[in-house]
Amino acid sequence: MMKQNLLLYWGKKALVFLVSVMVLSVAVFYISRLAPGDPLMSYYGERTEKMSVEEKEAAREKLGLNDPIHVQYVRWLQNALKGDFGISYKYKQDVTEVIGSRIGNTLILGGIGFVLTFLGALGLGILCAWHEDKWPDQLLCKGGTLLSCIPEFWLSLVMILVFSVTLQWLPSSGAYDVGHKHDILNRAEHLILPLTVVVLEHLWYYAYMIRNKLLEETRADYVLLGKAKGLSKKKILLGHCLRNSLPSYISLMAISVPHVLGGTYIVEKVFSYPGIGTLSFESAQYHDYNLLMVLCMLTGIVVILGNLIGGIINERIDPRIKAAEVTETSEVTWD
Amino acid sequence: MGLTDQELFTPVGIRQIPEKPAGKQRWHHGFPWISAALMTIIVACCMGAELLMTKDPTFMDLQNCSVAPNAEFLFGTDTLGRDIFSGIWYGGRISITIGVLATVISTMIAVVYGAVSGVGPVWLDTLMMRFTEIFLSVPSLLIVLFLQAIWGEANMLSLSVAIGVTGWAGIAKVIRTEVRQIRSSEYVLASRCMGGRFFHVLRKHLAPNFLASIMFMVIMNVRTAISAESTLSFMGMGLPLEIVSWGSMLSLAEKALLTQSWWIILIPGGFLVTLLMCITNMGNYLRKAANRKESNL
Repeated sequence: MMKQNLLLYWGKKALVFLVSVMVLSVAVFYISRLAPGDPLMSYYGERTEKMSVEEKEAAREKLGLNDPIHVQYVRWLQNALKGDFGISYKYKQDVTEVIGSRIGNTLILGGIGFVLTFLGALGLGILCAWHEDKWPDQLLCKGGTLLSCIPEFWLSLVMILVFSVTLQWLPSSGAYDVGHKHDILNRAEHLILPLTVVVLEHLWYYAYMIRNKLLEETRADYVLLGKAKGLSKKKILLGHCLRNSLPSYISLMAISVPHVLGGTYIVEKVFSYPGIGTLSFESAQYHDYNLLMVLCMLTGIVVILGNLIGGIINERIDPRIKAAEVTETSEVTWD
Repeated sequence: MGLTDQELFTPVGIRQIPEKPAGKQRWHHGFPWISAALMTIIVACCMGAELLMTKDPTFMDLQNCSVAPNAEFLFGTDTLGRDIFSGIWYGGRISITIGVLATVISTMIAVVYGAVSGVGPVWLDTLMMRFTEIFLSVPSLLIVLFLQAIWGEANMLSLSVAIGVTGWAGIAKVIRTEVRQIRSSEYVLASRCMGGRFFHVLRKHLAPNFLASIMFMVIMNVRTAISAESTLSFMGMGLPLEIVSWGSMLSLAEKALLTQSWWIILIPGGFLVTLLMCITNMGNYLRKAANRKESNL
């Protein structure tokens, strides 16, 4: 009986995941094919303009762009299931290859940014809760609100203006200098500015959440008991309140993936950092369908997985919390 | 143990909150006066842009490209030779309009969607909420990008619609929760028994109940929309260069960086951030106000 329930539970989760991914792929496929702009342009470039009507027709036929959209979709799906995602029209390479050469960069930027954001937010949140309504708390709250109002791209611009252009301390674009591909120090140097923006933009949002969660906990009865027993403030706050706040924080981390991911994309674009984000904007601009499809699916799958894992962690740790409640607090915004 | 008397006898009961005499607390308690004033000034100046402009904001004065702020060009000129001072007010109007328009669109979608989901049968509710979750899981940037790709060259309306249709999901969820709670109240039932249609019930009975709880989100939506407009225009996916807005002014930043023209980046961005900050403060005040009301009931 137990086993059957467990099977049902995981089956349900898998079903939700599959349906979400399917819906996403259909939507992305249809929308991208309906978009104006000639995909031939991205494939043949300037040459398209010199081609005759017949030549264009033949080229379309060859690429399969003439069939109805649903036929194209089924064909794409069949190939995709075999692991063949087609070639990128613009790079004239396998889509998987194009993405493979960039994904590492994004993972480094996004991954380190994610870890730093959440550790930093935890520290700041505790600091604020410790000094509730005293000057460090008020200062951080005011500063944090200001920081969260600054659009990512503008913060990146200001960073470049100050540290690259005026002070000339740090490089303003790329992931490494020419010829320094395997030089870790050089890469780290290029990573500092984008990473700072990613962390600064998201830090306060989560720090505020952990602060409020902690303050809510400090109002609970068990804190009184601890105090009556003579436990120190440090012990109560870190040993008890924090412990109670962490589960919802961890599930929030999983759910916040789209938030951080979207931000990384914009930062990548401003810093011309060769990652998935820059690639997405490029492929959207050049109507590079095959590439765009895979990039959107990749992003979507990571996000859906994040939501799913967040929900599961929640249900495991505290069955009282419904996944929906947490999603509600993690409003998806632009920054 | 070295404890003073005071420490030994710290009261450990329920946190002592001094009782506020009833009626003393006015509605404007904690109202962000500075933010409200700044916001009013910026919005008023943008709406009356024609009175303030010293130059034609769209005129490209090619002899005066990237001129630093001086007496003639108060905030300098951009890399195309357009006067930034005039552009700030003229472009601000477009940015603010897009923000408000997008919010109106997303709020309307959210109200109808949330209310239908709230009063509908369970299967419909589940279906609609699942859809919202999928919708929320796609980064909104991607959706706007796609919509913009379909419509080609963006204008104010298409950009507002694109931003508007991506921002409704969060509000719709809150409305749905609120409506679920009051859908079987006697006054709703009575109204429906007397033949009240869906939109009548929504306007007369449901909306007054959930308005307070979504006000904060609606205000924050304006902020998100303005921020989205500037981000998209900056990326070259929003308004084209010819249409002056804070975002499209900032899209010249890459060239400005090469010539170290800080005013092209810092001045429009400064106005943008100031306005966003004011809106946030107003929103936070509204949220606190709404919560205060709830706890008193």
